[in-house]
Amino acid sequence: MLEVAGLAAGYMGEAVIVDVDVGVGTGEAVAIVGSNGAGKTTLFRAIAGLLPSMTGRVVLDGKDLTRRPAHRRSRAGIAYVPAERHLFPAMTVKTNLVLGAYPGRPDPSTLKLVYDLFPRLQERPRQQAGTLSGGEQQMLAVGRALMARPRVLLLDEPTTGLGPKIAQVAFDAFGQLKKQGITLLIAEQQVPLALSVADRGYVLENGRIRLEGASDELERNPDVRRAYLGVA
Amino acid sequence: MSEAAERTGRAPGGGPGLAGYAGRAVLPIVAAAAILVLLPSVWFADSPYTTSLAVKALVFASYGIGFNLIFGCTNQLFLCVGALAGIGGYSTAILADRSSLPTGASIAASVAIAAIVGGLLSWIAVRRSLGVIFTGIVTLVFSLAFANFLLGQRDLTGSETGLVITGTPSGIADDQVGGYYLFVGVVVAFLVVFRILQLSHVGWAFRGLRDDEMAAELAGVDVARYRVYAATVGSAMIGLTGALYAYSAGFVSPDTYAFQQVDVRVLVLVAFGGLGALLGPLIGAGVLAVVDERLTTAQGEVWGFDVVQLREFFYGVFVIAIFLFFRHGVVHAAVTLARRAGRRRRRDAGPPRPAPSER
Amino acid sequence: MRAVVLDGVVIGLAFGLLGVGMTLVYGLGGVINLAYGQIVVVGAIIASLVIERGHSQAVAAVVGILAAVGVSLLLDLTLLRPVYRQHGEERILLGLLLTLGAAFVIVGLLTARYPTGALFISITGEPVSILGVPMSRGSIWASVIALAVGAALLVFLGLTTFGRGLRSVIQDETGARLVGINPAFVRTVVFALSGALAGIVAVTQSMSGPLEVNRGFELTTFALIVTVVGGLGSVAGAFLAGVLLGVVNALSAHYIGQYITSVILLGVAALTILIRPRGLLGR
Repeated sequence: MLEVAGLAAGYMGEAVIVDVDVGVGTGEAVAIVGSNGAGKTTLFRAIAGLLPSMTGRVVLDGKDLTRRPAHRRSRAGIAYVPAERHLFPAMTVKTNLVLGAYPGRPDPSTLKLVYDLFPRLQERPRQQAGTLSGGEQQMLAVGRALMARPRVLLLDEPTTGLGPKIAQVAFDAFGQLKKQGITLLIAEQQVPLALSVADRGYVLENGRIRLEGASDELERNPDVRRAYLGVA
Repeated sequence: MSEAAERTGRAPGGGPGLAGYAGRAVLPIVAAAAILVLLPSVWFADSPYTTSLAVKALVFASYGIGFNLIFGCTNQLFLCVGALAGIGGYSTAILADRSSLPTGASIAASVAIAAIVGGLLSWIAVRRSLGVIFTGIVTLVFSLAFANFLLGQRDLTGSETGLVITGTPSGIADDQVGGYYLFVGVVVAFLVVFRILQLSHVGWAFRGLRDDEMAAELAGVDVARYRVYAATVGSAMIGLTGALYAYSAGFVSPDTYAFQQVDVRVLVLVAFGGLGALLGPLIGAGVLAVVDERLTTAQGEVWGFDVVQLREFFYGVFVIAIFLFFRHGVVHAAVTLARRAGRRRRRDAGPPRPAPSER
Repeated sequence: MRAVVLDGVVIGLAFGLLGVGMTLVYGLGGVINLAYGQIVVVGAIIASLVIERGHSQAVAAVVGILAAVGVSLLLDLTLLRPVYRQHGEERILLGLLLTLGAAFVIVGLLTARYPTGALFISITGEPVSILGVPMSRGSIWASVIALAVGAALLVFLGLTTFGRGLRSVIQDETGARLVGINPAFVRTVVFALSGALAGIVAVTQSMSGPLEVNRGFELTTFALIVTVVGGLGSVAGAFLAGVLLGVVNALSAHYIGQYITSVILLGVAALTILIRPRGLLGR
């Protein structure tokens, strides 16, 4: 459903990612793993349209989105949740969620879905987003992205700034999302967590795709184990 | 010359070395000085009008170099150039008139006052962490308060009529060539000071400060100190220019140092030349003087209006055109063009041919 | 004294509208529109031309407001494009300089073409007594219009989807893009809106006295002071500051003097910056 072909992108004329091919099928959960600086965020920003791509294509459901600006890709169905979240700090939890549905009106059933997934948000709908804790902000960011009923949800390092217990809670929620049929593309440094939810994965190293395969294959792969799982 | 070469004084590959470095440092100033010195014989044709225009241009160039130090180098939008110059001018007039100080001492004292005021304004801005806009507004208020003070304190400042300064040597009065050379000296002196600062550790701090203030702070640059330092020196320059201008004109009036007359012009000419560029203010002042003169004496009609009436319109078009096309200033544009031409020439010349022994 | 204060409130409401126009544009895009006062004058002059042709004052007012919107859109679609391509302080500076140039262009054209141009909208009728002070009908109309427009704005910003989208762009532009909002479009709409506000101020100001062609820079200065004191980016703050400063302006002009008044107003702005930089209601 989401197809990225030959994508190259970077900053100030220098390409950070080169020749990247990624595919995500409907209902799949795909992980992009790699260490710091591998280019995961650059890739996601390029897919979301926050960063112009130098070469290559981004295609969603057969529509070529490569030339479209970020807000039009969002309306086409790509929901990007960046590591910095970019919530609206002076607006309430409820308003942040309502804005997620822009330009439409918020759909009550979607709102219920979000509240069922993140009950904490339902407990404090009038709290200002800027005053939430890290974990709550992450939940709100994901919830806001879900309000648009996206075709694919891009989660960029969702465990940033979260302790291990909350990180697990977050990924449990993602597992729930997958069960509900929502398509996920997750970038993560914490490989075991990522592969626990994903069906397939790509390993991104120095801006290029090194490996690709089903989750359990990757987990068994000796290079992956050595580089990312700390196993000799 | 690359950044590294500039610092070590040696071009990569063992080039000209220290002499070349000193040469590069001084060359622009020497060239400018030479042009300025020769200008009267070539261009003025003994016309007092042209001479006084040139003096005005040099005065504004001097203001500009001071402002360049404050805004161009350390990003402090001081909209009080006129006021600082006025402090220099009026202090000189008042001290010369009311105290027994010789002219030289009056001027020195006035410069000190201007420097202290400028430094103080900068210190306040730094302490309150004021950004560009807020610094602009606070200094603007200072400008207007000063103008109001001049108009209000009739006994001290003569209000609208101003004060007369006795004892100006006749060779230096406004439209005399002597005055022209006086200000050539001032401009060259200022350029030298600016250059020395630019090439010293102070200039290095300025560059870092302008590029990324936080990074500079983290790298150990005391941003506050350098800002106040730049403001003090720049204000001294502006004050000195104001004082000397008063001296050469023989009188001071609020109009001479009004915001609309001074600050708007200085901002435009420095930005035109290039913020932080050494010769920027000089080039900007020159171009602005020519443009101003063309607009004031133009004849004829455009779209049914007298050109003189459209003066403000053309001025606005000029300002827009500069900042659309020469955003980093004329000097920067010229340097970039020269570099590109140099690169193309080297590329067209092809790779160096192998020496005969290698064939 | 009550009369002076009420006069101050009337003019303060106009200041407030101007402040709102300026603060919205700054809050959304970091642009300080130094040509804002000139846009007010454009609205006034165009309206006066319409009246000269023999049309009614109401028609003239509408045309004047549309003219102000038109000029604003023209500015936004031409000069502001390169400004928005910059970021941070570069953008602020370029915005200041380009709008300053535009201000000169506009005032130059207007004063050359209509050196004696001025708009005066006369509202006939007996003065009405408010709190024991006789107020001219013109002043009453001006205040009512300003209050109505202000209320409509607050409703628009607080309760409509677009208004919410607008506020989101002010708070986190990237977040806004991620939920499908086009910040460039919002900025253009707001700039046009600020033009409409400018046109409305032209109309209301001219109800209490003629609005001449050379009032541009003075109006821009007022708008800037109100924006700073109210808090950059705060609409309610701009209104509040407008009224307060209007009263200060009236009292000071009446009891002290016109020239000192401008110094006092700017002094208030400077004090705000030094003591409470976020203004009355800013963040």
